[in-house]
Amino acid sequence: MTEETHTAPVEPAAVEEPLDLVRLSLDERIYVKLRGDRELRGKLHAYDGHLNMVLSEVEETITVVEINEETYEEVIRTQKKTSEMLFVRGDGVILVSPPVRTG
Amino acid sequence: MVCFYYFLVSTLRIESRNTLIGHQVTVELKNDLAITGILSSVDQFLNIKLDDIRVVDDTKYPHMMAVKNCFIRGSVVRYVQLPASAVDTALLQDAARREAQTPTTAAAHTMNR
Amino acid sequence: MTDLQKYVDLTVEIITSDGRVIVGTLKGFDQTTNVILAGCHERIFSENEGVERVALGLYIIRGDNICLIGELDQERDASIDLSEIRAAPITDISRR
Repeated sequence: MTEETHTAPVEPAAVEEPLDLVRLSLDERIYVKLRGDRELRGKLHAYDGHLNMVLSEVEETITVVEINEETYEEVIRTQKKTSEMLFVRGDGVILVSPPVRTG
Repeated sequence: MVCFYYFLVSTLRIESRNTLIGHQVTVELKNDLAITGILSSVDQFLNIKLDDIRVVDDTKYPHMMAVKNCFIRGSVVRYVQLPASAVDTALLQDAARREAQTPTTAAAHTMNR
Repeated sequence: MTDLQKYVDLTVEIITSDGRVIVGTLKGFDQTTNVILAGCHERIFSENEGVERVALGLYIIRGDNICLIGELDQERDASIDLSEIRAAPITDISRR
């Protein structure tokens, strides 16, 4: 290791790490992809370093792939659920994004 | 771990005067069980205790018919549905911003402010 | 904080991450939710027949494998005829 000292972050609003981008989404509607073919769209109110989050006015989309037993065809079914305020445990989060897609 | 702890304190008890403890919440587990009950406590692992519980889909899940209160291991929680009226979102956002700026180890003292 | 002290010496029902239901007397626990259950039995749920009871004895269950610990209301439990209950087992999340 060198003796080079690391310069301290001066500008708190700067984007220096991935979570800073999440911070910029506070109070905005975001899109969250979760394990188990689940997606959420909702307004972000809080998060932490584990990506535990609190979202409001949440729409959850669950995608289920069923295989027809006779034809072996894949049938894709989506199920929607809503909740007014949701705490999401971070270990299920795959990605967070501003919701470009509508609906 | 410290920031996780802080977070759950902020979420579930931020409003240390205006706490979610005592409110009705629905905890959805990773095994798809959803349990509604009165939030009685939460710890640093996000283990949750609920009183006066009811399984949301009790015809599909009669497994807990005789259980009145329970302890849920934090690691198996997928979501906790909260009553929006009991959550101060401005306060939460504030806490999240502060937490984002604070080095994780220093997060703890801000909660006692 | 959220410890299990209040459940000690009571009959509890534990749902494990592989979806099993185990009922016994809670004798001890630690920070990581490892538990000691005395005189326990498993309740095997099935869609085709009533609940089967299998005696297990003394179990030490590692916390990682526990989903939920519920206090069993003895009176309510006694009023349920388990042989009449039909239900699929709880989803196994242990290998995810």
